[in-house]
Amino acid sequence: MENLKRIASYFGVRSSLLLITVVVAVYLVILIANMGGHMDKIRESQIREQVGLALQSPEFQQMPEAQRRQIYEQMVEVRRREEGLDKPFFQRSLKYLVNGITLNLGRSQRITSDTGSNQVRLILVERLPHTLLLWGTAQLLLFFISVFLALYLSRHYGSALDRIVVALAPTSAPPAWFYGIILILIFSSLLGLLPYGGFVDAPPPPTMLAYALSVLKHMVLPVLSVLTGGIFVSIYNWRTFFLIYSSEDYVEMARAKGLPPRTIERRYVLRPTIPPILTSFTLMLITVWMGGIITETVFSWPGLGRLLYQAVENADTPVMVGSSVVYGYLLAMSVLFLDLAYAVFDPRVRLGAAGGRRL
Amino acid sequence: MRKLWVSLLVMLLALGAWAQVRTGAWVDEVVFIEEPSSPKGVDMVRTGAIDLYAYAISDPALIKTIVAELGYEISYGSYNEISFNPYGPEFVDGRLNPFAIPAIREAVNWLIDRDYIVAEFYGGVGGVARYFTITPSFPDYARLADIARALELKYAHNPEKAKAIIFAEMEKLGAELKDGKWYYKGQPVVLKFLIRPEDERKQIGDYLATLFEQLGFEVERMYKRAAEASPIWLSGDPSKGEWHVYTGGWVTTAISRDQGANFDYFYTPRGRPDALWQAYKPDPEFDAVADRLARRDFTSVEERRELFAKALELSMKDSVRVWVSNRVSYTPRAKNLKVAADLAGGVYGAWLWSRTIRFEDKVGGTVRIAQPSMLTEPWNAIAGTNWIYDMMIIRGVSDYATLPDPFTGLYYPQLVEKAEVYVLEGLPVGKTLDWVDLKFVPEIKVPADAWYDWDPVAQRFITVGEAQPAGLTARTRTVVYFPADLYERTWHDGSKFSLVDGLIGFILTFERAKPESPIYDEAAVPGFKSFRTYFKGLKIISVNPLVFEVYRDLIYLDAERIAAGAADYLMPVYAQGTAPWHALALGIQAEAAKQLVFSSAKSKKLGVDWMNYLAGPSLEILTRYLKENIETGYIPFESVLGQYMSKEEAIARYKNLLAWYEAHGHLWIGMGPLYIDLVKPVEKVVVLKRYEAFPDPAEKWARFAEPWIAAVEVTSPAPVLKLGAPWDFLVEVTFKDQPYPVKDIDFVTYLLFDAEGNLVLSGRAEPVQDGLFVVTVPAAETKKLPVGSIRIEVAVASKLVAIPSFASATFTAIP
Repeated sequence: MENLKRIASYFGVRSSLLLITVVVAVYLVILIANMGGHMDKIRESQIREQVGLALQSPEFQQMPEAQRRQIYEQMVEVRRREEGLDKPFFQRSLKYLVNGITLNLGRSQRITSDTGSNQVRLILVERLPHTLLLWGTAQLLLFFISVFLALYLSRHYGSALDRIVVALAPTSAPPAWFYGIILILIFSSLLGLLPYGGFVDAPPPPTMLAYALSVLKHMVLPVLSVLTGGIFVSIYNWRTFFLIYSSEDYVEMARAKGLPPRTIERRYVLRPTIPPILTSFTLMLITVWMGGIITETVFSWPGLGRLLYQAVENADTPVMVGSSVVYGYLLAMSVLFLDLAYAVFDPRVRLGAAGGRRL
Repeated sequence: MRKLWVSLLVMLLALGAWAQVRTGAWVDEVVFIEEPSSPKGVDMVRTGAIDLYAYAISDPALIKTIVAELGYEISYGSYNEISFNPYGPEFVDGRLNPFAIPAIREAVNWLIDRDYIVAEFYGGVGGVARYFTITPSFPDYARLADIARALELKYAHNPEKAKAIIFAEMEKLGAELKDGKWYYKGQPVVLKFLIRPEDERKQIGDYLATLFEQLGFEVERMYKRAAEASPIWLSGDPSKGEWHVYTGGWVTTAISRDQGANFDYFYTPRGRPDALWQAYKPDPEFDAVADRLARRDFTSVEERRELFAKALELSMKDSVRVWVSNRVSYTPRAKNLKVAADLAGGVYGAWLWSRTIRFEDKVGGTVRIAQPSMLTEPWNAIAGTNWIYDMMIIRGVSDYATLPDPFTGLYYPQLVEKAEVYVLEGLPVGKTLDWVDLKFVPEIKVPADAWYDWDPVAQRFITVGEAQPAGLTARTRTVVYFPADLYERTWHDGSKFSLVDGLIGFILTFERAKPESPIYDEAAVPGFKSFRTYFKGLKIISVNPLVFEVYRDLIYLDAERIAAGAADYLMPVYAQGTAPWHALALGIQAEAAKQLVFSSAKSKKLGVDWMNYLAGPSLEILTRYLKENIETGYIPFESVLGQYMSKEEAIARYKNLLAWYEAHGHLWIGMGPLYIDLVKPVEKVVVLKRYEAFPDPAEKWARFAEPWIAAVEVTSPAPVLKLGAPWDFLVEVTFKDQPYPVKDIDFVTYLLFDAEGNLVLSGRAEPVQDGLFVVTVPAAETKKLPVGSIRIEVAVASKLVAIPSFASATFTAIP
């Protein structure tokens, strides 16, 4: 019973701290996106610039000047109200914050969903499946290929393959989108084998199977670019990680005792590495939510990354807040989940009497 | 028997020929996709992945690839200038602003080398030099080519002259030059230069900043993108001196046939209410000329030309903005593809693209087009998406009363048959095409029974007699005639066109701007107020064939433009596309119930979705009304529209639309040569197909697929020119090596310059035959000219294309 109370108290405090972190992070997003309120001045000026252009039309030019000015001011006022500039920034920023934290994502300021709605929820939901599909596939492949190959290399330390992987690790210095451009040049422009980008053929195939195959075809290059950009350094990291764990004293002791290699690997190497692997896996899954801004743009992939870019470009605070707050909550929940998971997987982790952790 | 076979064969051949008359679009299908990257778009055209990249490219490196390897269309819609803060000569904090002095601003024209700018910053292919507020590729420039050319030569690069003027003026201001640097009241003169870094304006700004530094000014280069720069130069208080110089840029998406108001807009406080404009203090003479041109206060073409000549000259002396360059943009396409491109708006801005696009080597086929963005905002004809790329598709599936020539901006009839335009005597209106009959009259009275206003409560029109019992007059009366077969044309869902389709739009003009209406939208009020200032009345003369007359105070230089504007009053043409009444009715119902709204502004105000006829949650609401209306036979504004159709006809329309929706999954229907077959908004794919019921022959607009830009060459039969003897110069005008028809040439002017570059003579060339003109300089004139080199410049203005063509040659004059 006391244990349960301690656990509840720990998670209560932890959740509260995480919530505060999310609140601070989201408000920072609001402040940064709006340049601390300076964005209002920019928006107002842009409105005046756009409305002023309308005065070039012959209908306005033939109007008496006073009337023209009156209409201009009226048009500016309509646009100001449309943008919410008739209310002070501080008041609006609190509204964005409360709406975001309560997951009442509301409506966007400028951008609409591809199907035309300005509900932030729909805007995000519409792009989410595409991002999950692309980045989920790419990251899962990257993760599992890296871990299993790293494990293999840690067993064959110094082999030819190991040396090749180590030598190729610096190739991960350029980002995935850079490889994306190279791959497009080779496979689309030069060889004409794969599409330049997009989600599916145009016009989209009518049958489900053909549609799915077409999507797969469009995924090849972006997935390959993510893999190419990350695979070698990822294998290198995991390999080094496993090698460190393989050379621990207790592993040497197990070897000295003559335990079979499989048993050593399972019980003495893998078991203690599970928490960091789990952490890495969970955080990797969360990053999938954000997509990849430039990679999605390079491949014209209709995902959340491109959406976020559009939101920043258009200074659309509700969309930025919506995207960030979901990411914030996912991150906070993951941290809580990892705390729990550590306790399950790592027998050394225990909750202390004061709710703290001790080893 | 043999005769019978021959007859049969002839009949079959005739039948075959008849069957081959293609109607509507030349192609069977057009597939649109999105591609935001222009280098990729160009490469996709190169590899055949797409046939057209609908984007106007101005990157010199990409242009070189396009010119070397692909087909392309050229447009001239954007241009750059240097704006000056004219406040001063001292800002409120006591700093000096040299650009408060017109002579210093004017000197910048001599300081900059526009040819260098074009060669270096546009790669020699992406831009042309520009000196004035009028666009070198628009009709006014062609009309004034001789005057403009003379001024261009006067303001040609002359840095020594610029330096002398600037130094003299700085000294007059009390500034001192010490060790090559200017000081004012003991402080260095620092010029705050706002430079836009997004495009070639960065290089132009850096170039000019360096020139100023070389003259002894200290320059603070402030690189700021559009959003950051705007609050400083446009809305900021000029007296605070937050900036001195700004690299401005402007865009025009359609050819303007009358740029007379540009002087008023760009140089006087009347142009815009913004703070910068209020600091403009034009010379009274210039101010008056600019005002007259804007108000079209002239009675003849000659008088306008004189005003224009004065305005051009005075605008150079004022120079609150120094025009630098016109960007030349390239739209890449497959070499075997033909399509009309607007000289200002490119392919995506051309109203005729869907009527002209075709493969050179075949009829039919699928054209694949990529756009930088598409389906950016919701589509509804009243106040939906205004994105140029969405509008390209919308125009492609729509039909219009008239259509603008992409090369001259002149309106040609499409659905309309003819028009009579009556204009008050003394107003500067002319006509070019035969479909318009222009007459000048001493007075235009609006009939008492013409519709003047709309009562949203009683749901009826208010007549002129009711609203203005004392009577009303107008500056123009336009009678528009439509052909008898207008009502045989069909919307894409199969519904026949009816007068109600046009009438509902006319009602909506009033209804949406009246607070008593359930679909009142304050965003519609400013536009309505503008409409109210010039609209005087509308009267239907005949329903079948459709004939109506419109009374207005709005005038344009071209009677065709007046007629085109009037024809739209009873056409289903709205700000963002066309729509039939039965589709609009659903939107009206949804807006009245506050479930969806037409405009973005009202959407924000009410917190409901902006209406989209193409996809998304809007469709569920709209189709619910559609199904209800099939049961009820709902007729919007029934008290008026019910007079022109029955409930059965209304129900038949709704059924057509439902069938359309079930087949295509959206509610966007037009009457154009293509229809929207499929929309995949998230995948960014739109498929258009040829509308087989479109009745017009495909070749109707074929001649607009290519601009007839003339090639010009000047020669002289004599190798040297003898003073005191008559001189002849031959001007060869061709298009694709074929003689340019004389009937299609507006005029050919010439300018003669002496060795010093002074204009010594100008005049018009005379036609000899197609493709050949002659410039004759009589002996009486040549004997007045000096010995030495003589340069002749020729400007050719075509009736088919707004861009004038130039040529020059230099000869030697001997005693």
